[in-house]
Amino acid sequence: MRLPEQDNHQTKNSRTDHRSSSSSNMVSSSSSSKSSLSSKPPPVLIPPTTIRRRTVDEVWNDISLTTLHHERLLIPLHHQSYHHHHPASSPSFKGMILQDFLAGPLNRPRTISPHAFEELPLLPPPLSPTLPQTALSLNSGMEFEYLRPRADSHSNSSSNGQNAYFIPSAISGAIDGPPSPTALFSLCSKNRLPENSAVGADRYHRRMIKNRESAARSRARKQAYTNELELEVSRLKQENAKLKKQYEELRSAVAAQQLKSYNTLQRSSTAPF
Amino acid sequence: MSRDPLVVGNVIGDVLDPFVKSTTLRVIYNNKELTNGSELKPSAVENEPRVEIRGRDMRNLYTLVMVDPDAPSPSNPTEREHLHWLVTNIPETKNASFGNEIVCYESPRPTAGIHRFVFVLFRQSIRETIYAPGWRQNFNTREFAALYNLGDPVAAMFFNCQRENGCGGRRYQSVSGWT
Repeated sequence: MRLPEQDNHQTKNSRTDHRSSSSSNMVSSSSSSKSSLSSKPPPVLIPPTTIRRRTVDEVWNDISLTTLHHERLLIPLHHQSYHHHHPASSPSFKGMILQDFLAGPLNRPRTISPHAFEELPLLPPPLSPTLPQTALSLNSGMEFEYLRPRADSHSNSSSNGQNAYFIPSAISGAIDGPPSPTALFSLCSKNRLPENSAVGADRYHRRMIKNRESAARSRARKQAYTNELELEVSRLKQENAKLKKQYEELRSAVAAQQLKSYNTLQRSSTAPF
Repeated sequence: MSRDPLVVGNVIGDVLDPFVKSTTLRVIYNNKELTNGSELKPSAVENEPRVEIRGRDMRNLYTLVMVDPDAPSPSNPTEREHLHWLVTNIPETKNASFGNEIVCYESPRPTAGIHRFVFVLFRQSIRETIYAPGWRQNFNTREFAALYNLGDPVAAMFFNCQRENGCGGRRYQSVSGWT
């Protein structure tokens, strides 16, 4: 009964827009989609625009691919491949969907053009007041102080390793707008600096995915219990109504019986004398 | 979207295939009837419950299976399903103590996360001898039912259970899972 993964994904995708048509899909494949739900995290809060939702696997593959292919080059190349991969991403969201945004700096589409880099040293990133609405909220104030001095020492040399990479992404985020906290994700855990960025990002993503699944299980648990209680309430109400009816009928039957008996003479015992 | 608690709680999917409920199963722990999907503490489920099968015909025999599909932890169910109890030849209208206990009741003691514990009831076509599996881990209810030709389940219930002093499963675990 298992539908291919893509099918289930499509069904879930269309759910937000085409409720009526997909509901029939969902009914017929409810068991298989439920079984797939146990392996995939349910939809995260997404912006109201029509956005193609990526599965966990796709996000994961993207991360692995980018870590494999990654040189500390700039991104117009990656940008190309990314946009090729996601033709449906909404331009109003700067070519990003929430899952990708949360996927981290490695995976972020670079929409900056090369010349934007020249602006970097001049750009003061006052991003903290303009954090986008995302499912996760970050305290950005501290991280930004951290970020600022780095920007001064920014260089294209590889001496700083991944920091050089991340700074441009953070600040390019400033140019783009919304995805700035992505840089914060990468830098905000103070312990992560000495680590290899790839491994750290992996661990972070793994944890995040596990957390999402756990949250999904928790919601399912809660919902299942609620449903059961509702069913029980309706069962009890029905039973109650039935019993009340029976009681009334019995009472009236008894009353009628008594009435009948009052009208007839009752035999009483006569004394022997 | 099905509202059946068994579907929403993913019991249908992880443990069972969809089925039509045709028997009323009552599970009673400490004189309290179990509500499907509720949460119980390990102390409350330490001893085997009274399992009643409602009906009229004592000739119908049932097999009861109790498994934990979230062993050792829900995020890492490598031992799915862990068999906790197996009783066969339970006559209708009676409770499980009238059947043959093939695998004795093991008290749920989840260490990591919040586990589901599922009761599955099968109607037997004949009185049969069912053999205990070699071990409790990695039991497969579907395969078990196929092996003994039990067909689809006729009833199922589940409850949730976590550590006695649990905090909703919220604790950091190393990637390997078990603590």
